[in-house]
Amino acid sequence: MFKNNTHQQSVRLHKTGPQIAQELHACIGCNECLLACPALGESLTIDVLNRETLGGAISRPVAQFARACYQCGACVSPCPVGLHRDAMMMWLKVRLLRTGWEE
Amino acid sequence: MEMRKHLESVGGETGYSWLYKATVINGGVRATVTILVISLSAGFFAWYTRSGNDASPDSIVGLVYATIGTILLLLAATRFSKRRRVHRNRTIGGLRSALGWHMCFALMGLAFLAMHSFGEFNPRSGTYALYGMIALVISGLVGRVLDRIIPRLIAGEAHRALNTEGDDRIETISQKLQAIVGHNTQNIQGFTTPAGNKQAAASTAQNSLLPVALGQGQGQGQVKAWREQTLHTPWDLAYISLESTPQELGRDGQYRFVPDKKSGLTRPGALMPGTEEHISELEEIRQAMRHEIFYRYITRYWRTFHILLALLTVGLLVWHIVYALQLLLPTIIH
Repeated sequence: MFKNNTHQQSVRLHKTGPQIAQELHACIGCNECLLACPALGESLTIDVLNRETLGGAISRPVAQFARACYQCGACVSPCPVGLHRDAMMMWLKVRLLRTGWEE
Repeated sequence: MEMRKHLESVGGETGYSWLYKATVINGGVRATVTILVISLSAGFFAWYTRSGNDASPDSIVGLVYATIGTILLLLAATRFSKRRRVHRNRTIGGLRSALGWHMCFALMGLAFLAMHSFGEFNPRSGTYALYGMIALVISGLVGRVLDRIIPRLIAGEAHRALNTEGDDRIETISQKLQAIVGHNTQNIQGFTTPAGNKQAAASTAQNSLLPVALGQGQGQGQVKAWREQTLHTPWDLAYISLESTPQELGRDGQYRFVPDKKSGLTRPGALMPGTEEHISELEEIRQAMRHEIFYRYITRYWRTFHILLALLTVGLLVWHIVYALQLLLPTIIH
């Protein structure tokens, strides 16, 4: 919808579930995104984060990390395969938000 | 509800409250150090000013406050920036800790520089530097509040733009609209163009946006081709056509459908049931995406604003130091 608008193109929008799944499958687990993250407050492994982003139960550390993520985008540039961890974190946020609204 | 029950049954976390509690490594240590340093220096400041000593910014104590404040300010400015840029020896949570110290150093620096002024705001350079520092710290604190609020707002907008399976709602609605248009187009194909109106039929056929089943002289294969072409036409192009409708084409023929003015069929979209609802949903999603972009711009520009303010404050500080040294150095030398 906004693809033709060059001014808005510089701001990346959220990604869809299938796009997130595709990116997660492309992740090589190098941990660079987590090392570059200024929001991650406790030790967390990339495989746990990837697994829980994709679906299923969200553990406490992953949920806390998802809530703490402030979408600064510091995780995007260090990724050697050009993935968007910020979009994956947004997907986790949406999942948490939905479960909260269902209460 | 089902998803939440499922997540809870397998021990999962649910919900995204505004007042979530963030886990921070050594957060307590940083807070304690900051409070302790500010309290001790403030206590000393109170004792010093009440005991009748030289309470001026260029006194020994004032200069010590200025030096410590400047060092803390420089630590706040450089330590986190360097940590972000240097990739060596990084650990998980290290940047979070550096961000925490960045805030602590900034708060301590502001406190020391405020005490250095001793309530004197006459020298312009020093006052401007202090005001710059206050604005910088406030912008940082506001930024932290925005960092907590904005991502949740973005998540809300993203939720509006995605369906429960995580697919793009725009795409889903577009497909539904296309199905409606396709269905209506197929109904329209039921109308037969009179044989005497071949010119009009040819004109419509050239357009291909709202095709009609051609009458005599046209093969079955061509009709099938038209149908396939119709179904692959984008819904918006198919819906908005400036070409004559089959009803208008059939003016000379036997049938022309004109609904009564009082009829419900005169309502916009009455002949395309469900279209209005889908279009309003599309507008709602567009609005959500616009909001998302707006929120992302807020956080982005607030960070830029904070950095620019930091540069301005450093500039004012350098100006003030140069100004102060010009006054102090002759006194010290003589």
